[in-house]
Amino acid sequence: MQAPDQTGHYRDEMKASAGLAVWTLAWVGTLALAVFGPELLWDSQPVASWAAVATNVAAGTGLILAHARYLRKIDELQRKINLDALAITLGVGYVVGFAYMAASIGDLIAFDGNASIALFSVLLSVIYMGTIVVGNLRYR
Amino acid sequence: MRNRLKDLRSQRNWTQAELAEHAGVSRQTINAIEKEKFDPSLPLAFRLARLFDLSIEEIFED
Repeated sequence: MQAPDQTGHYRDEMKASAGLAVWTLAWVGTLALAVFGPELLWDSQPVASWAAVATNVAAGTGLILAHARYLRKIDELQRKINLDALAITLGVGYVVGFAYMAASIGDLIAFDGNASIALFSVLLSVIYMGTIVVGNLRYR
Repeated sequence: MRNRLKDLRSQRNWTQAELAEHAGVSRQTINAIEKEKFDPSLPLAFRLARLFDLSIEEIFED
């Protein structure tokens, strides 16, 4: 019986996971800089604010690519669980997002728009993590 | 998809973890295939067939 090179496979998976973690931290860090920097660090100078936003977009691009790489490298059952979770999260994003837009156009939204977008992002994160947990329980 | 993976593994006295290590997947994946909750990809089906010196059709059936 010939065993394939599992050490290399595991190493690739761990490397992709570490890459995803690093890019996630970079994106969160640059987002915090872009949000709080204008008020706390550079007194709302437009050049600095644009630079911070551009850095955040660059880190976000890195995060997207790292996530795609992560999905290619992980175990195939984990890939299915992740893709199912992403499909549900994307679906909820569209449905709730457009429903929110319709409600907003109809002047049905009473609270602050910026807070709602932040809350919406948190909602999507919770749904993604929740469906990952459900997927793992399903295939336990 | 029905399969004989559990029987074949038992014949060789392998644990799920040992089979998973040889096949290059997680123990959770082997468990899900044995319980017929998850269908393996074609590359994984080929790897499993090679491990047991059988054809894919001898392990999996519709």
